[in-house]
Amino acid sequence: MIDIDSGKELVNKVKNILKKNYDFEIITSGYKSELTRFAESYIHQNVAETNLSLTVKVIYEDRIGSVQMNSLDESTISKNIEKAIEIAKIAPKLDYHYRLVTPQSYSIKSKYSEKTANFTPLNRAQLVKQLIKEVNHRGYEAAGAFRTEESTFLVANSEGVFAFDRGTKADFNCVITRDNSTAHTSFIDSDINNFDIDKIIDVLLETALKNVEQIEIEPGMYTVILSPEAVAEILNYTGYTAFNGKLIMEGKSFVCHNQDKNIFPENITVADDPLDRFTMPIPFDLVGYPRRKIYLVKDGVVKDGVYDYLTALKYNKKCTGNTLSPEYASFGALPFNLVMEEGENSVEEMISCTKKGIYISRLHYVNILNPMSIQLTGMTRDGTFLIEDGKIGRAIKNMRFNTSVIDMLKGVDMISTERQTKEGFVGPTVAPYLRTNNFTFSSKTSF
Amino acid sequence: MKEILKNILDWLEPKVNYADLRFVQTEEENIEVEDGILSSYNVLTNRGVGMRVLADGAWGFAASNNLDKISLLKTAAKALDIARASALSKKEDIKLAPEDKHIDTYTTPIIKDPFQVSPAEKIDLLAKSTKVMLKDKVKKSEGSLSFYKTHKIFMSTEGSEVEQTIFESGGGIVAYAIGEGDFQKRSYPSSFGGDYATRGYEFIEEMNLLENAPRVAEEANQLLTALPAPIGTMDIVLGGSQLALQVHESCGHPVELDRVLGKEISYAGGSFLTLDKLNNFTYGSPEVTIVADATVPGGLGTFGYDDEGVPASKTYLVKRGKFVGYLTSREDAFKLGLTSNGAARAQSWNRIPLVRMTNINLLPGNLELDELIGDIKEGLYLDYNKSWSIDDKRINFQFGTEIAWEIKNGKLGRIYKNAVYQGITPEFWRSCDGISSEKYWHIWGVPNCGKGQPSQTMHVAHGTSPARFRKVKVGASK
Repeated sequence: MIDIDSGKELVNKVKNILKKNYDFEIITSGYKSELTRFAESYIHQNVAETNLSLTVKVIYEDRIGSVQMNSLDESTISKNIEKAIEIAKIAPKLDYHYRLVTPQSYSIKSKYSEKTANFTPLNRAQLVKQLIKEVNHRGYEAAGAFRTEESTFLVANSEGVFAFDRGTKADFNCVITRDNSTAHTSFIDSDINNFDIDKIIDVLLETALKNVEQIEIEPGMYTVILSPEAVAEILNYTGYTAFNGKLIMEGKSFVCHNQDKNIFPENITVADDPLDRFTMPIPFDLVGYPRRKIYLVKDGVVKDGVYDYLTALKYNKKCTGNTLSPEYASFGALPFNLVMEEGENSVEEMISCTKKGIYISRLHYVNILNPMSIQLTGMTRDGTFLIEDGKIGRAIKNMRFNTSVIDMLKGVDMISTERQTKEGFVGPTVAPYLRTNNFTFSSKTSF
Repeated sequence: MKEILKNILDWLEPKVNYADLRFVQTEEENIEVEDGILSSYNVLTNRGVGMRVLADGAWGFAASNNLDKISLLKTAAKALDIARASALSKKEDIKLAPEDKHIDTYTTPIIKDPFQVSPAEKIDLLAKSTKVMLKDKVKKSEGSLSFYKTHKIFMSTEGSEVEQTIFESGGGIVAYAIGEGDFQKRSYPSSFGGDYATRGYEFIEEMNLLENAPRVAEEANQLLTALPAPIGTMDIVLGGSQLALQVHESCGHPVELDRVLGKEISYAGGSFLTLDKLNNFTYGSPEVTIVADATVPGGLGTFGYDDEGVPASKTYLVKRGKFVGYLTSREDAFKLGLTSNGAARAQSWNRIPLVRMTNINLLPGNLELDELIGDIKEGLYLDYNKSWSIDDKRINFQFGTEIAWEIKNGKLGRIYKNAVYQGITPEFWRSCDGISSEKYWHIWGVPNCGKGQPSQTMHVAHGTSPARFRKVKVGASK
């Protein structure tokens, strides 16, 4: 781990090695992460890790060399920086001028909880034990993972940027099983105080007890209600493939030909928003650019993507604070805090208004079939149900979907007021329940 | 480092049922070039120690990058604390399958150390290869090279002491033809980063990236104006690169014994190859024989010992269509009364070993490629993966490929874009009625196999030669 004082010391160390001959950027990432994993109703993996890494990017006349190390003694840092200088000197020039980010002010902070940071293996094991005991009592086995972690980030450069942040995270996921009856739930928050094991057990058992004697239905287009877990998964892949500014600039995103077009219903608003009250904000990106709210889709209108610093320089765009670490430089950018705005319906209303449809609890192995139409594929799992005459009815066997997110969002007619925080590709994703009249299942499986 | 590890083992020994320590140091170089211009050159060094202890019959693991002796002793104490916490919810004491004590060293045989090749030479190769692809509608090209040198020391309370140095090299190029509202990509030698092997820079030289670049670009150009693949049920041939992923997803993962036992069920899922099916299930046609072979020279999943100190081995998974074996760790093998076949692998010092693929190879048949294609009246030849998805028991799969060629009256014809095929794993492998010969066999390195929580990325490989499958559902993404 690193704090502000040791961070300043490190910056000076790098400064002294490079003198004034080279510009530089540094990223220091430190973390203490612990994870308790359980399956077949016992703890089968239980791990802890501490690490501290330093990335130094040396910039020399629009040439860049980058090194990363996790040994921070003076000689290792010097040796690695020498390597970065060697690369920067022989690298061909970029086809744009690389100027460093200038000092910024940061109004957002990560959320930090002492209790999360100090949560012990015994604390986690006790909660897991309680869960196992209660689901075993109902004839179910439990499997899942429970992580608590503390992390620090420092981004600095030779222009005087110095951005320091620390945060905590607790995440949990669990599947309970009894023959073909399964259920899943997940939790993610910066504060372990918000973790309610009794609520988690209730949610798991409620779904699992309904998810029995699954019937087979034929593939086709259906009205579906997607849980926040499923919506978050779809948003994550959409952010990845459609709203990466680099792909937009290269003509490889659906946004290229749809910018400023009113494609979706007015109730669809999706943003990268570190200020959303349900998210765990990331205050700056990995060149120290401050984060702010960026609309991707606003009131149904396609806006723009998110831009990393290099893409922004290359294409004369504004960086949106979405720069990834140097090893992902050629990827472009990802939304860090994806959020979908809430709607006006309760989940109960959404179900009761559905004469015939399908409720999807969770998606599995989602992947991109066609990036230009954002056609995704994947499977349902851990609780897929028919909705009949306004009620959750019989459980159905898992199905494969091949569906375009564009078509799916066009068909959205109800969005819940309730939103939940789920796992994202960088920070978490905040998603509501959605009802869409346009969701295509292409095949089925045997369970 | 060995001396410090030895001291820590001595400290742990009276307190545990078993312990192993792994020191891992990796040097890594990643070079990426776009449109002839270097976009990133990253050099990474990473080292640390991971300590796994079995105490009170339960597992604990702690890892740290801080290598001074006091910190490492604290890490060992942490691992012990964690094991005791795990014991709170144990069902029974964890037991390990017996394993001999091994004191040995292993180094990947290489001809040309990739870290001794100048950065300029590597950049130049990618710059030229990506530049030459920028033709007609190919508006974007990418090339990448990656090199790893991993030094590992494994020591256990059973007295094993194994030191290994593994070299890995890999890379590839991609051409993107971009039109109005559509783009098509073609990769070489394989998609998603190219091809990888436990070999030196000679592996990169043998790829002939620059020589293949114009052809790859031309195929991308053709794809942009090609028709979408037809929809229907037809006979197909899978090229070696796509077949590697087919083996990976529909055989490699379901034979991981930890998945079968439910240890991955909350995340990656389980497996349809349940214990009752071992030696009692027709996985594929008699043409299909699949082995896990960590000893085959050059495979990306080749090593001397796994991360539990078990020697690399060759194991039959599917023999002439019958399902006959799992990939195992010492813990999981014990449950079946077996010894481990050396498939417990950890991404690095900061992760525990999990049951992972090594080189999962579909053994070659005896057909010429012409014969394979020649026996199809109307079908498709599909290759180079573009999209993949499979259900959580590894039954219903769907794959998309970069390119498909029409097969008509036994001959290859025009190309199609956006091809997708879908199937049910055992039905699909039972429909395999021909595999091409050793002449076409190649071990494809897959450097991005994900599994576990916290997540681990493993380097694995699949030996394949093109194979024929009958009556497969095909279509096109929209």
